[in-house]
This record gives sequence, C-alpha cells and structure tokens, in this order.
Amino acid sequence: MTDNDKITEKQDAVAPAPEVETEEMALDDARRLKVLSPGMLVFKRFIRNRLAVIGLGILVVMFIFAFLGPFFSPYKQTQVFKGIGSMSKEYASATYNTELRYNVADGEAFGPGDRAQFLLAIGKNQSTFTSGANTFSISKESESTYRLLRLEPVAEELLGRVNPVNGATLSDALIEMYKKAKDNNQTSFVVDGVTYYLVPKLKATQISTAKDIALASLVVFDAYKPADTANVNSFAFKLGSIMAIIQDKKTFDVNGQVYKLVEEGGLSTIYNSAGEAYAEVSDIIVNPVDQANFLPVDFKRIIRETINNRQDRFTFKDETGTDVNYTIVRVNTIYNIKRDTPIELIRMYERPSLEHPLGLDNNGMDLMTRLMYGGRVSLLVGFVVIFLEVVIGVIVGGISGYFGGWVDTALMRFVDLFNSIPFYPMVLIFGSVMDALQVEPMVRIFLLMAVLGILGWTGVARVVRGQILSLREQDFLVATEATGIRTSRRIFRHLVPNVMPLLIVQATAGLGGVIISEATLGFLGLGVKYPLASWGSIINVASDAYVMTNYWFMWIPAGLLILLTVLGFNFVGDGLRDAFDPKMKR
Amino acid sequence: MQQVMETTNTPVQENEDLLVVRDLKQYFPIKAGLMQRVVGNVKAVDGVTFTIKRGNTLGLVGESGCGKTTIGKTILRLNQKTSGDVIFDGVDIFGINHQQLRDLRPRMQIIFQDPYSSLSPRMPVSEIIGEAVREHNIVPENEFEDYLDDIMRSCGLQPYHKDRYPHEFSGGQRQRICIARALALNPDFVVCDEPVSALDVSIQAQIINLLKDLQKSHGMAYLFISHDLSVVEHISDEVGVMYLGDLVEHASKKTLFQNPLHPYTQALLSAAPIPDPSRKRNRIILEGSIPSPANPPKGCKFHTRCREVMEICKTVVPLEREYEPGHMVKCHLYNDRKALNEETTEAV
Repeated sequence: MTDNDKITEKQDAVAPAPEVETEEMALDDARRLKVLSPGMLVFKRFIRNRLAVIGLGILVVMFIFAFLGPFFSPYKQTQVFKGIGSMSKEYASATYNTELRYNVADGEAFGPGDRAQFLLAIGKNQSTFTSGANTFSISKESESTYRLLRLEPVAEELLGRVNPVNGATLSDALIEMYKKAKDNNQTSFVVDGVTYYLVPKLKATQISTAKDIALASLVVFDAYKPADTANVNSFAFKLGSIMAIIQDKKTFDVNGQVYKLVEEGGLSTIYNSAGEAYAEVSDIIVNPVDQANFLPVDFKRIIRETINNRQDRFTFKDETGTDVNYTIVRVNTIYNIKRDTPIELIRMYERPSLEHPLGLDNNGMDLMTRLMYGGRVSLLVGFVVIFLEVVIGVIVGGISGYFGGWVDTALMRFVDLFNSIPFYPMVLIFGSVMDALQVEPMVRIFLLMAVLGILGWTGVARVVRGQILSLREQDFLVATEATGIRTSRRIFRHLVPNVMPLLIVQATAGLGGVIISEATLGFLGLGVKYPLASWGSIINVASDAYVMTNYWFMWIPAGLLILLTVLGFNFVGDGLRDAFDPKMKR
Repeated sequence: MQQVMETTNTPVQENEDLLVVRDLKQYFPIKAGLMQRVVGNVKAVDGVTFTIKRGNTLGLVGESGCGKTTIGKTILRLNQKTSGDVIFDGVDIFGINHQQLRDLRPRMQIIFQDPYSSLSPRMPVSEIIGEAVREHNIVPENEFEDYLDDIMRSCGLQPYHKDRYPHEFSGGQRQRICIARALALNPDFVVCDEPVSALDVSIQAQIINLLKDLQKSHGMAYLFISHDLSVVEHISDEVGVMYLGDLVEHASKKTLFQNPLHPYTQALLSAAPIPDPSRKRNRIILEGSIPSPANPPKGCKFHTRCREVMEICKTVVPLEREYEPGHMVKCHLYNDRKALNEETTEAV
C-alpha cells in the first residue's frame, strides 16, 4: 500500500517534469535565461576575474586605510613626538698638576726672580741656589714637593778658621759638629735642635741656619668650606699637611689645631678636630668649564677618585638631589668631564614600536598616521586629476568626434600641441615657481592637481574622439536618426552609455599613472610640501643614502603603498577592460 | 518618362506612387592635402530614377559597392544628396525642415544589414523598439505596453523578451527586433538594406517571409536592397539592377528575370545558383572587378567588363530607354533596335 502510494506519488511528481523540461529547453523561453543587463554582465565578468578582484580588494583596503584610518589614528598628521634625551656637555676639566705652586710663609717673599733661580737649580740638581742677596736651600721632600729654606749665615770657615758673621756667637759644640760634618762631606748638621747648613762659597764655607720661607708643590688643596679656603691655602697648613702626608703621619697640628689625615685611593682627606672633612689634598686640578659654576669639593673628589681608578663614568647628585651621569673623556693629559644634561629631543627616526607601528619620521611624526593622511592626498590627487582629465577630455574629444570636419582637425592639432609639451620639465618648472612664490601647501596641492590635469587630458580626448567617431558610423546611431529620435536623447541615451565603458577603463588605468606622477614629484620635492604629506614626499627621505640604508621603515611602507595602489588600479583597469569587452565571454 | 509625376509639397492622397526618386545623385567628396581640398568625388549614386508604388516592393540588386545602400540611406535623408529629387508621398524629402522631417520619419523606416551593430548594446529590447514610439506618440501611453507586445508578437518575438538586451539574441532574433523597431512606427515605406545577408539561409527564409507577411498585413512598400537574386526574386514586385551608381535596368520582376536585356543583368542572372544540379548552365563570367566609383570609366561604365562592348560604349553614355512598357534599360545595344521592340518581346 504504502509502496504503491509512493510510486504513484513519484509518478505524479515525475509526470509533469518532462513537459516543464521541454519548455525549459526551448531556445528563447522566458525562464531559460536569467535576464542580465549589460551592466550586470560586466559586473559578473569582472567578479570572475581573480586578478581584478584582488586589485579591487587592495584598493578597498587602501581607501579604508587612507580615508577612514585617520579617524582611528590617535595621532595628528603633524604631531611631533618629543622625548627627554640627554646631551653630554663639557662641564669640567681635570688634569694632573704639572706646575709647581708656591706658598710663601707670612712675612717672607719668594718672588718671580727667586722662582726662576729655583727652577734652574732643580734642573741642575743643586741643593742650594743664590738669588739676589739671599741663598736658598732646596729640600726635596717628595717627588712633588720642595721645601725652600733661606739660609742665614752665622759663621764662615776659611782655611780652618771659623769666624762668626753678623755678630753671631759660636759655641764650641757647633764648631766641633761643623768640622765633623765637613770631614764627612755632609751638607748639614744639627746642633741643639737647630739645623746648620754648609754652603761652599769660593774658597770659604758658610755655615748658616735655615728658615722655611716657601713651599713649592704640585699638590692641590681644596677646602670643604669656602670659609676655610684661606686657612687651607696658608703656608703653615700646607707645610704641616704635606709633611704629614710625606711622613705618613695620621695626625698633624698647625697653629695648635690638630688635624687628622686619612689616605684613600691616592687621595688624602684632612679632617679637623671636630671630625668634619676639612680639606682635600690631591695632585689633580679640577676646574669648571664655565667659570660661573662652583665645583663642590666632594664633586672634585669623586672626579679624582674616578680618574685614579681609571674609570670613565660616575654619578653625582646635583643640588636638587637627582642623579646626574657624568662621563670622563681623556684628551692627552686633560680629562674632560661631560655632564649628561637632560634636554627635550625630537624623536627622529625612531624604530617601530607598539606605540608607533611604523616608527617616527625625520620630523618625529608618526609615520603610520602620515601614511594615512598621505594616502588621502595621493588618492585625492589621483581622483581629482583624473576627473579633470576626463572632463576636459570628454568635452574636447566629444566635440571633436561628434562634429568632425575642420573642428575635429583643429582640436586634434591642439591635442598634438599639448602632447608635445614635455611633461616633467614643465612640472619641475611649475614646482620651482611654487617654491619661489612660497605658495601655501594646501593651495599648492590644488594647483598641482590642476597642472597634472591640464597636462594629462589629451589621452582621454583622443580615446573619446575615436570612440565617438566609430560610434557615429554604427548602424544603431543611424537608426536613431532614421526613427527621428531627438538629438539630446541620441547623445545621452545612445552615445554616452557607449563611451562610458571606455572612459571608465581609461580613467581607472590612468589613475595609477597619476599617482606615480604625483609620487615622483613628491619624491623630487616638488609635489606636496611639508607639513602635509603624500606618499611620494614620504619616500623623499630615502634620497639620503644614510636614511635609505639605515631606516628602512621610513620609505619601504610608503613605497609598498604606492606599488600596491598602482597595481590595484592597473588590475582593476585591466579587469574592467576585459569585462567591458563583449568578446570576453567568460 | 512614364513615372514622372507632378511634384508638389502637399501630400497627394490618391496617388499610387509612394516614392519618386528622380535623377538622384550622391557624390562623396575626396579630400586630400593639408587644406582638405576636394580633389574628386566618389560617385556612389550617379543619376538614379525610379518609383515605388504603395504596397509594392522594389528589389535593388547589384555588386558590392555599386551604391545600393547609399540610395537607401539618401532617400531617407540619412545622407545629404548631391542633386536630384526624392519625393515621398508628394513631399520633397530634401525640401523640408528638420521638424517636418522628424514628423515624417515614422512613415519611412530602415532595416539594416548587420543586426549586430544596428541595436544599441546598452538598451533592453523594449526600449529599442519603444523608444521612437514614445518619441512620436504613436500610441497613447496606457496602450503602450500592449502595443509593444502586439508588435513583438507580429515580428515573431515574445513579450518576455522585452527586458532582455541585444547580446542575448541570435542574429535572426536581432533582425526581428530591427523589423519590430521599424514596424512599431507604422511606416508606409521601409528600406530593407540587405536585411538577410548576414543571416544563415533558414533564418533568411523566416525573415523574408516575415517581411512579406507584414507587407500583406500592413500594406507597406519596401525598397529591398540585396545582392542575392533569389531573395530579390522572391520578395520583389519590380527589380532594379545597379552598376557603379547607375540603375542600368529596371523592370517588373517577371520581365526582368525572363528577359534580361542589359549584359550586366544577364551576367548577374547567369551567376545566380540554381538549385537543380541536372540543369546545365551557361555562365557568363565577368572579367575583372568593379571599377572605382571615384574614377568611373568613360562612356558606358560597364564597357570595361562587357562582352558585347562596342566602340560607342567607350565614349557615349547610354541613355535610359524604355525597351518595352515598364522595362527600362541603359545600354547602347538597344539604341537602334527600338523599332524591333515588339518583335523581340514576342520572340522571347
């Protein structure tokens, strides 16, 4: 039962089918073909062209990137990104002291003449020298310190006879000691705690007491407190401290004050009785580069420590308590201390980061954002120029083709004239004129569009003219005349729709060319000007070989965008041409 | 000449002559040089005279390039004539202004040779056919769709074809669309410019029969231009033979096919294929090709290829002579045989 039912059902279902089928098979049945307008057919053919769809996809992405992208970009086109950078600035210089410094005892004199004689004597390795009426003895306490003593003769020995001088009284012990010293070829001897010096004078020998009058030393003193500077630089203090250092004493006293000496890392620090750091002793001079800067002693100390430790950088707290980095650069015998000064820097050529996916350009602007705005300009220039070209081209070509005859001849010669204008020289001249007139960047873009359009419409005019000439001879246009269709309808309903496909193809394919032209001009610096961007002008930085080789992210993205866009337009143009071609039955 | 009638600019109602073409000349200037000087003329149509009666068909045959199509276009004022008259239903086609011409357009239509180029590729069929109907208000707007359906049906098209575009049709269907476009304007006269030469033979027959049927039902006159004698023989009432812009022979179909007078007509007829392999044919092979219409031979234009060429042919242009009533011929052969007209006719 059920089976039978099924079969009958089946038969019922099948039975009408052949009829329908025969109807379907009829050559011109209403249901056989899906009605497609020529536009739909073109669209279908276009969609089947994979390359064209890829091109269209590229273009859609480009448009979203350029026209919608800026709305999502957190930055502005001309926003300059600055960062705190540090700049090394020469702050101080240090050097090992090679010049003897003189300290003269109170009430004494050691003038330039005396100093000259002293230096000569050192050169000759003499232990005494005479300057003017005075005779001085040089006591070399260390490699860097000389003690200068003025000799005051008390006696003179001649041929074994010792005679007092200047009314001095001579004790027997003194004479005894002198003879012993002379025999032993000593230059000094001590009697009752007083040192006597033997100074040969012609055939005689003078016996003199000595008095400390000056100190010549390479050692430099720095007082911790400016108020102490006078004391620190006093003869007595220096003599005391230097002698203490030389003699490796831990303490010494000057004018009744007891000072403590601590040696550390080639530096000696003197503490006063209260235990405060009182002065610094060193053989390194530190001077500020700018004399207005006061260098604190502990700053000098850290420099000296660093130099002695052969390091080249150190940190020191400035007045506000922040750490400042210093570097030491040695030039011959001079150590230059550079202070890292924090300054606001434009973040030029910054590498891509999360914050700036394509980095920052030579002006510290976000490259991604500039590419978006640049894309707007590049695409807009392309479209406006093509629009201009098409408008001028259609008018001239249309008139030429529709009217023919001498109008055609005249207009085509005009086109020839335009075609023989050399494009790049013309545009280069235009660019430099714009430069000279200092035209606003925005106005410049519009003028650029106008110039590109005016120089480029001839191709469109020729194509339109050719198409209209050939359409004019087509039977369907003759038929419109035969059926008495009015002129406006003939033009807009018959002529224009048939020129349109060609125009669309021409314009699409031409867009790529215009974008290339604009990019070329931008690259040459004659197109869109800073602060506005275009893809071409972004690539401009690559004209610097250093930028080109080191900052790939500066120009490769823009180059890729141009490449892809032009490729996209060309693919779409090709696709449209194929789609509009009725012979392409795909 | 018999066909000559009084020319007036007012339509004559009960005149059986619908179209009168008198001594029509159509030269195309040849321009050369920088200043585009006219250095010569292509004499596409060089003094043609004929008449088409209401509801009749004049077949026009001739080799390619002999000016058949030019005649067709010129009598519709799709070209500017050089001289001569074209009188359509008593109206001088070249004597009226553009508005009058536009009003006259629907009454005389043309069907082109190439059904592919004669339809605008970007229009649906309904617009192609209906465009001019609306333009000239042939029918009221509310009857428009029905009218279109009727026209399409009568031309062998289905109303559902309306929304389709020309590229979706075969050649024969396209030609039907062309016919429908012409027919929709309800014309009195249609120039059929080789309407079937682009089609295959089976479709040719359909189209020819369609044209004949339409003629019967609508009473149109045709100027049927073709180089195919069998087609012309099938559809025509009268036949004209053209050679190099000249109408060399013109007679009723029967007369012309039975008694071709002009050597060119004879050659043409002998060249036409006969669907009977057993019948022996005596073909007249024409030597050479058609001379340039820009520089036609002196005297009789056919003398370079005529096998009966005489001395007179090379210098003197033959006049049109009426060999027998309604049978016009332009040939020197018949200059002196005028008296023998009766005898010849009887003999044939």
